[in-house]
Amino acid sequence: MTKYVLKRLLHGAVSIILVVTTVMLLVYGLMDRTKIFVADGNYNKQANNNRVTYRYRRWEDFGYLDYVPYADYINELARSGELDEETRTEAVTLGRADDGSQDSETAARYIKEFTDTYTARGYTVTRLKAVVIRNKLADGGQPALFAYKDNSLLKRLWDYFSGLLFIDNIHYVPDDVDIGERGLTFTLYDPLYNPTGTEKKLSPAIIGNGTQHKYLLYFDDKFPYLHQNLLTIHLGTSFSVTQGVDVFQTMTQSQGSWTQSMVHYPTGTSTMSADNLHSATYVQGSLASNPLNAGKFVDDYTNVSANRVSMSRMGFSFLIGIISTVFVYILGLPLGVLMARYKEGLLDKIGTVYIMFISAVPSLAYIFMFKGLGRAIGLPVTFDMDNTVKLMYVLPIVSLMLPSVASMMKWMRRYMIDQMNSDYVKFARSTGMSETGIFFKHVMKISAIPIVQGIPGSLLFAMTGALITERVYLVPGAGGLLIDAINQYDNAVIVGVAMFYAILSVLSLILGDVLMATVDPRISFTSKDR
Amino acid sequence: MDYTEKYGLSYEELFAPVDHNDLESEKITAPRYSYWKSVFRVFFRNKVNIIVLTLLAVLVAFAYIYPSVIGYDAQVDPFVNINDTGALHLSPDKAINHFGFALKWIFGTGGTGASTFNSIWYGSRISISLAIICAAINMTIGILLGAIWGFSRKVDMVMNEVYNVLGNIPSTLITAVLVMIFSPSFWTLVFALTILGWMGMAYYIRTRVIIIRDHEYNLASRCLGTNIFKIAIKNILPFMTSVIVLEIAAAIPGYISSEVFLSYIGLGMSDISLGRLIYEAQNAMVTPGWGWEFWTPVAVASVITIVLYVTGQNLGDAADPRTHM
Repeated sequence: MTKYVLKRLLHGAVSIILVVTTVMLLVYGLMDRTKIFVADGNYNKQANNNRVTYRYRRWEDFGYLDYVPYADYINELARSGELDEETRTEAVTLGRADDGSQDSETAARYIKEFTDTYTARGYTVTRLKAVVIRNKLADGGQPALFAYKDNSLLKRLWDYFSGLLFIDNIHYVPDDVDIGERGLTFTLYDPLYNPTGTEKKLSPAIIGNGTQHKYLLYFDDKFPYLHQNLLTIHLGTSFSVTQGVDVFQTMTQSQGSWTQSMVHYPTGTSTMSADNLHSATYVQGSLASNPLNAGKFVDDYTNVSANRVSMSRMGFSFLIGIISTVFVYILGLPLGVLMARYKEGLLDKIGTVYIMFISAVPSLAYIFMFKGLGRAIGLPVTFDMDNTVKLMYVLPIVSLMLPSVASMMKWMRRYMIDQMNSDYVKFARSTGMSETGIFFKHVMKISAIPIVQGIPGSLLFAMTGALITERVYLVPGAGGLLIDAINQYDNAVIVGVAMFYAILSVLSLILGDVLMATVDPRISFTSKDR
Repeated sequence: MDYTEKYGLSYEELFAPVDHNDLESEKITAPRYSYWKSVFRVFFRNKVNIIVLTLLAVLVAFAYIYPSVIGYDAQVDPFVNINDTGALHLSPDKAINHFGFALKWIFGTGGTGASTFNSIWYGSRISISLAIICAAINMTIGILLGAIWGFSRKVDMVMNEVYNVLGNIPSTLITAVLVMIFSPSFWTLVFALTILGWMGMAYYIRTRVIIIRDHEYNLASRCLGTNIFKIAIKNILPFMTSVIVLEIAAAIPGYISSEVFLSYIGLGMSDISLGRLIYEAQNAMVTPGWGWEFWTPVAVASVITIVLYVTGQNLGDAADPRTHM
């Protein structure tokens, strides 16, 4: 069994890689890349050459190409000690003409070197001449020189999968930066809860120095209480949906307005703040450069996120999804069983009409119908993150439940009726067993097996959220993420979300089969038992 | 009883000797059975179906004939009253007050002052056409490929991998990317809904074929040297007719729903369709008194999908030979 599951997992991993490849081909290869600027306010503010370089910079951000400005190349040379400051200044200054006729001798030499190096590597080198109005540089008209090369699919795939999991380690901070002794410390008394060192409030934590996150393992008062930062999942960094934040984080971080509490900073200051010090990450030089940080922090672990009042996108989606899934099984299974038991009876007829209604009518239509009904009986019809009334969950849950209950009823009824004509039922009947006995002792157990297979899937996919339901009731869930990303051309988010869905689907299939084999002794996945 | 006495005729007159014929004696007498005749007999035995078919005929007439009769022009008609500020967002009674009674005002007016009634039927034509074209393409490809997929073990191995990968790509994503690459037109949407839409049907047929393929009677057929195409058409296809009809029945309303869904999330086509009408009216719904322009296309879409669904389901049931007794 273990071997079988491992084989399936490996198989699934290959499928996932292929899914990501196809999605990357779709979004990077087929979509018009100039469309990312349609809704970009900054793009329209740029003029002349700046607009061109801005375009390439953004394309690099979105993962289309590798963009190397000439200045970066020179600065890199200077940093490695090849150039002194005077030569650097001279070399980095471009002449106004694009044919190099106005360059200084040093600049010309390095420009040639830059051009040769990058042309040899397959880059396209572009030089833009200065835009001059009445002998003065126009706005954004500085001359520009840069090289760019489209990322190949293989490189993109490699970058994506190699960066997927990040294990925090003490060499995260560059080795040439002096941050004192690197290492991990385990403490029983989390300094955040023991600001003076005398409270002795027990809360184990692992704190790192040299790592990206300061707190690698800690407890707090939020579900699931024990948190870790050792392993971070990077599904793809967003550039327009939530700027600079990873897809996975977008789905899992808390939302809503800030919630303040008494925070004890490492310097000893205590103040009311929304800062979540457990989330501190390293930003080089941030202590010295920002005077605000100096009063609070003692090291460069200053980048903290805010405590917010509300659950994450995935949290909302999952809460609504899981409750509705539970109700689907509680309602759908018995209704399906009863429909089969009293076939052609009143309940069967009503149920069939309901199933027909849900299967035929566009989901949008009946969700709005139920919204209208809900409003009529006084239920809240929109979600408000800051004012959590339990009742506002009712309509989204009901709307999400309606179609699944119908399909549960349909399948359960069909499986039961199929079983009722089989030989073992006839045999049981001929031995004198009562119809009810046959029904509940034999038929129901067997018919439930295909239903069991779907349970892991319905639990896992509760996380992804439901698009229409969340849109109609303004639930701040994860369901609309893919559509938002598509509408804003946020390629990394599209790839990340697609990958997330693929992982869930592979997992739910495997878990479903395993669960089915567990309940049904007749099913075996090892060839020996077959 | 003695017949010669009863009828007053001689034995020879009453009975004629028949030659023994080997060929004739091999014939089995059975009641005449024609599959499709029986299908329609069973279908029309249910009186609900007659009502539903009548309704379907009315809907189709309104969607396909009514716009031509009134000479609906999608470039002109939606904007005829746009400058008449008193004509926007009217409920039916106000519209009839404003314009006087006419059939086209019974659903009121929309945000541009156009008749909702006319827009709905014009939109229905596009939505129904889209659904039928998509269903036709997907079902044809799905059935043919699914049959090959089910029959050949080699194809099965390859196709299962393809299915694992392509089936995991969110269909919304594919539609969205295609709508963005091409213009959001009718044929783009057809392309987007069919490029991978056949997979579900093909997989379903594949599973059915695998179940029936290894039955004893097919094994016997193969042993007797029947070629695979004959097995497919004579032995397996009759088993599938009813499930295929059922699938098509669910698919056509399904594509109408997809179109409504895609329009709602802003990925629909630029032509007037039911989905587009609903999408454009969704903001009007929250304003008291404007609800008509949202609810009427929703209601018409629901009626169309239900009628198509019921017709298909009952036709599918009737296509099952077991109901022909």
